[in-house]
Amino acid sequence: MHPLTMMQLKIDDRILLKVKKPAKYTGNEWNMVKKSLDNIKMRFAFCFPDDYEIGMSHLGMKILYHILNKRDEVYCERAFSPWVDMEQIMREKNLPLYTLETYTPLSDFDMVGFTLQYEMSYTNILNMLDLGRIPIFSKDRKEGMPFVIAGGPCACNPEPLADFIDIFVIGEGEEVILEIADEYMSWKEKGESRAEFLKRVSGIEGVYVPSFYDVSYHDDGAVKNVIPKIPDVPDRIRRRIIKDLDAVDFPEDIIVPYIGTVHDRVMLEIFRGCIRGCRFCQAGFIYRPVRERSKEKLCDIARTSAQSTGYDEISMVSLSTSDYSELPDLCNSLIEFTEKESISLSLPSLRVDNFSLGLMDKVSKVRKSGLTFAPEAGTQRLRDVINKGITNEDLISSVKLAVSGGWNQVKLYFMIGLPTETMEDVEGISELSINLIESCRGISQNGKALNITLSTACFVPKPFTPFQWEPMDDMDILMKKQYHLKDLIKKRTRNIKYNYHDARISLIEAVLARGDRRLGKVIYSAWSKGCKFDGWDEFFSFDKWMEAFSECHLDPKFYANRKREYSEILPWDHIDMGISKEFLKNESQKAYEGDLTRNCAAGCSVCGAQIYKTGICTKTKRGLVYGENTKV
Amino acid sequence: MAKTLRFRFSRGQELKYIAHLDILRVFERAIKRANIPVAYTQGFNPRQKLVFGLPISIGLTSESEYADIELSEDMSPEEFITKINKGLPEGLKVEEAVARNTRDNIMNQITAARYEIVFEVKEPKSPSEIETMIYDLLSREEIIVMKKTKKGPRPVNIRPLIYSLSAEKTDEYRFRMKTFLSAGAENNLRADLLMQAFSQETKLETETVSMHRKALYASAYNEWKDPFEVAND
Repeated sequence: MHPLTMMQLKIDDRILLKVKKPAKYTGNEWNMVKKSLDNIKMRFAFCFPDDYEIGMSHLGMKILYHILNKRDEVYCERAFSPWVDMEQIMREKNLPLYTLETYTPLSDFDMVGFTLQYEMSYTNILNMLDLGRIPIFSKDRKEGMPFVIAGGPCACNPEPLADFIDIFVIGEGEEVILEIADEYMSWKEKGESRAEFLKRVSGIEGVYVPSFYDVSYHDDGAVKNVIPKIPDVPDRIRRRIIKDLDAVDFPEDIIVPYIGTVHDRVMLEIFRGCIRGCRFCQAGFIYRPVRERSKEKLCDIARTSAQSTGYDEISMVSLSTSDYSELPDLCNSLIEFTEKESISLSLPSLRVDNFSLGLMDKVSKVRKSGLTFAPEAGTQRLRDVINKGITNEDLISSVKLAVSGGWNQVKLYFMIGLPTETMEDVEGISELSINLIESCRGISQNGKALNITLSTACFVPKPFTPFQWEPMDDMDILMKKQYHLKDLIKKRTRNIKYNYHDARISLIEAVLARGDRRLGKVIYSAWSKGCKFDGWDEFFSFDKWMEAFSECHLDPKFYANRKREYSEILPWDHIDMGISKEFLKNESQKAYEGDLTRNCAAGCSVCGAQIYKTGICTKTKRGLVYGENTKV
Repeated sequence: MAKTLRFRFSRGQELKYIAHLDILRVFERAIKRANIPVAYTQGFNPRQKLVFGLPISIGLTSESEYADIELSEDMSPEEFITKINKGLPEGLKVEEAVARNTRDNIMNQITAARYEIVFEVKEPKSPSEIETMIYDLLSREEIIVMKKTKKGPRPVNIRPLIYSLSAEKTDEYRFRMKTFLSAGAENNLRADLLMQAFSQETKLETETVSMHRKALYASAYNEWKDPFEVAND
């Protein structure tokens, strides 16, 4: 027997029957991977720094779990942030955080990986390391301890986590994770030092080892430069992508949780990237270029996944379903078998038109309750600023179509605090919503008025977007705008339910999103004060975060509310996401002019992603030709 | 061969941490994985025609749960058992199945349940001490406990719902309680609520170690019957 099996923990009823949803902590779900530890050369703990119900809904985890476990000599297991009731008992009973597959403490793994899906989960990473008995700071990890690795969208600005993470992966993980695993197994065989392993992986494209870089600052606090400390590490780290989605493994034997999760269904990833280029949207830039899976491959995946899981729902996943080039064909092929098998098919982020409404009637057996639209801004002027290519008329006709088709409720998503926004734009949100209600009077099937759930998020400027230089609105201005909108709506109608995000959470998100390395101590301090689950309203403590900033002598406004010059060196400038800074600057200027940029399918705007020579970049329409000689 | 079947299944340690609705979902998925030709309800949100005898709460193991299923094609009970067990995870197993032909489904037929509850006491107690407590308890006309309902906690008299209750000593601090309780859609007494009442009324501090359902019964002609015996009533 492998000595590690001795470390397995026993979590008994006296613990499990005292916590809510104990099945979060017991594993053994359908399709969970079980391996004998005898021949395992690398044990990887994939950690999702949030609750099980959120983490088990995450497609990226399913993909990497599958990819790693396909290798016989590698065992990838899972861990999640225990909910507060469980954490309390674990700390009382001195139980370490363990993986669900083998009940092994995190500290016994070769590698512990975190996915960085949103900034507000950063304190949970520290908490999981602590519960897993792994030193929180990279510098304190000794020979024989696990390597802590992280990837995901927030890794595009890894700096705030640089003190805690040994290795960052920039970009898509399917290939690079196996390259790292191979390097690990060869390193382990040779019995080299910890530093030697970090050196080895820093040579892999897409891998960033923050401890190999020195950051210096100007007196005003801006970054002066980021310089490699040792020879042979790259000056800039380029994002990895998968060139051909059909060629890469996609999980079909996914784990089926026993308890309900947020996305409890087969997730069918139809493409990566987005052609649209909305200027506020980080996902629209950092996943370029658009690469589709073929419809044949998708049908295969759908069929096999449904059979292996028993799920009765398949949902397409992408940033914009309507932009899949062969959507009608794909739907028809899928419907052929989903109808027969009583499986429902859902198509989120679909633009509403005659085609999609007809489709929805056909595919989904769900009640006609909710449709979601995201105009993002209340006036045409501001929608042009953000390059959201829809008009009031588009929206009104879509909603009318939906209402006459039997939908009585729509959800509308807007942002408050977008660059150049005035009170007039904020009022535009209520104008537009009321206009929708008025336009739909008398056309609904049951004679009822349209009901709108209107939500506003606070705009948070993100790296690698044209708004990366923008100041975020001050918190009090955001709140003023929220209250103003709330009043306006209350006066005018009862058919709108208005929700808005906590501006204080958005402020912290903004700081972490565009932060530098110095924020490591703020995150540590906030966690020491008890901050965790910061994305959850019921746990977020603004005061503790503010105390942490003041103790570390750092001003959140410097990070969130300051306008950066184009010439400033940004903390993430040494990360190359395949989007050129010149393109982003140009987009930022076009935003001020309210000048639209066409989408990738309509023509190439030379954003930089053409260096990957794949996907939509190789099939640009309307005869626009470019090649390697194009100046970026 | 039959289109409607009644089956008995067990739930082991592995799956005792999930709630009743989750068990239902596990079965629905297992049926799909096993390609069992199940019948669906009509309407917007078609559901499998699958009915369970009695909810099974978190923490409870059981050797005797019942459910009714309707199929779209004839299938023998034996084939059904073999197939569905391939789709079920460890901790759930269909043990027996019979063809069914009743107007009432299993949920309406179940009226009583038999449990075994292992509990520990803080101070050693002799078997006769516990026996006396049980005797005193059962001699009362009323045992009022607060039962959680959708409208908040409500006082309920559970005495009429306890048909029998006894305990045997298994260890210095451990007892095994055997009890026969009213169950079903109308007058259900959960094993954990009984334990709560037992501790509350006897002032004996107990910690439940395990709860196990031994059997479910249907009543017919003033008799307790095995649910398979009334599968064709």
